[in-house]
Amino acid sequence: MSNVVPIAGTSESARWRTVDIIVVAILAVAFGIVFWAWDVYIWPWASFLTSPAEYAISGVWLLPAVVAPLIVRKPGAALFAEMVAAVISVLLGNQWGLDVLLSGFVQGAGAELIFAFLMYRNYGPIVAALAGAGAGVGEALHDLPVYYASYDVQYRAGIFILDVISAAVIAGIGGWLLVRSLRRTGALGAFPSSR
Amino acid sequence: MSLLPAPLGPVRPDFLTRVTPAARLVAGMTWLVASVVTLDPVVPVRLTIAALVALVLWSGLPLRRIPSRLAPLGFAILSLTALSILLSGANADRSLAALVQLGPVRVTGPAVSAGLAIGLRVVVIGLTTVLVFGPSDPTRMADSLVQQLRIPDRFAYGTLGAMRVAPFLADEWTLIAAARRLRGIGSGGIGGRIRDIGDRLLVMLVGAIRRAERLALAMDARGFDSGIRRSHFRELRATWRDWLTIATALAIAVAALILPR
Repeated sequence: MSNVVPIAGTSESARWRTVDIIVVAILAVAFGIVFWAWDVYIWPWASFLTSPAEYAISGVWLLPAVVAPLIVRKPGAALFAEMVAAVISVLLGNQWGLDVLLSGFVQGAGAELIFAFLMYRNYGPIVAALAGAGAGVGEALHDLPVYYASYDVQYRAGIFILDVISAAVIAGIGGWLLVRSLRRTGALGAFPSSR
Repeated sequence: MSLLPAPLGPVRPDFLTRVTPAARLVAGMTWLVASVVTLDPVVPVRLTIAALVALVLWSGLPLRRIPSRLAPLGFAILSLTALSILLSGANADRSLAALVQLGPVRVTGPAVSAGLAIGLRVVVIGLTTVLVFGPSDPTRMADSLVQQLRIPDRFAYGTLGAMRVAPFLADEWTLIAAARRLRGIGSGGIGGRIRDIGDRLLVMLVGAIRRAERLALAMDARGFDSGIRRSHFRELRATWRDWLTIATALAIAVAALILPR
């Protein structure tokens, strides 16, 4: 660790400034609260009424893994944001508890791999959609054996396909649009992504 | 009044409150893994019993508050169990005898057994989560993760700082709704309501980012990013209690998996 105070010129580097850490953490906390409400009040009903079609809206869980990297553009942002959001939803109390830590890890890692593959240089809408899909693959690989182990194979295939499409559209494109809206408000002035 | 559920307190000192959070996390993970690797309902039944015993005898948690805390999860568990039984691949297997036959709906024994295993899996995970996170506050959890599991300290304590903002964010969510109503913004119908939620989320996130920037500035002013090696206010070290907890949890997990019925 250097003790040099980061200045504007060095903000493109891989090093996380305090403001990067705190902004990602607070955004993830906000998403964690949304997840908690979503987990307890919306998902069980969607699941009960439409299963396995509820996976068409599962992309909501993956938003932090796309939104955080698009804002701070640092290695590890997808994993960090998704893990923090997961921890918050666990602490508030949802039906999957401890297991959400595993979900958060594989989801964050799925998006992180896409950004890493592009050397953390490209943050356009197509990359966002791919990263969302990556997170969706992670989500499906976790959820299928843990919660849908007994489902018939056509339902399991349906969950996988809906999950990945939902992830690319809601988390990927939706996340990209959300960051664009945030940038237009001027709230992202502290980040290279706003220039 | 906050929208968010209150923490599960007050906790009185007991065996599990003296175990470090990292050790409880590792111990809890063994039960999570054990309940996930099998579709035999006997394993989660055994782990549920073990978790209840630990909860009553050693957790120090206010037992009277636990049922109401876990009640909202009941519907999710029942729904997952029912769906796992109804949508099971075993139901299509004609060589298996049907327990229930209602028109096209056919339910077989293996489907019921696997469905129960998956529903009880969620029960085990829920109780284990209470045992892992209930006995200590997030600050102790962060201390433990940094000192024992070597999580990078700026990220752990940055997150801890950010968590304090959670109640304000939840309040802001209701405040934004009130402000929008006052100005007559908002639309009806399902599509309109989804748009409203999106707009409110954007306003909440803008507020969250502004708050984060001020918090980061304040933390940097106090040397958060000084680069000097951090010492610890509360030193946490693994004790015999930690190793005993992990060994016992692991032994119970293995026993639950391999003991004959």
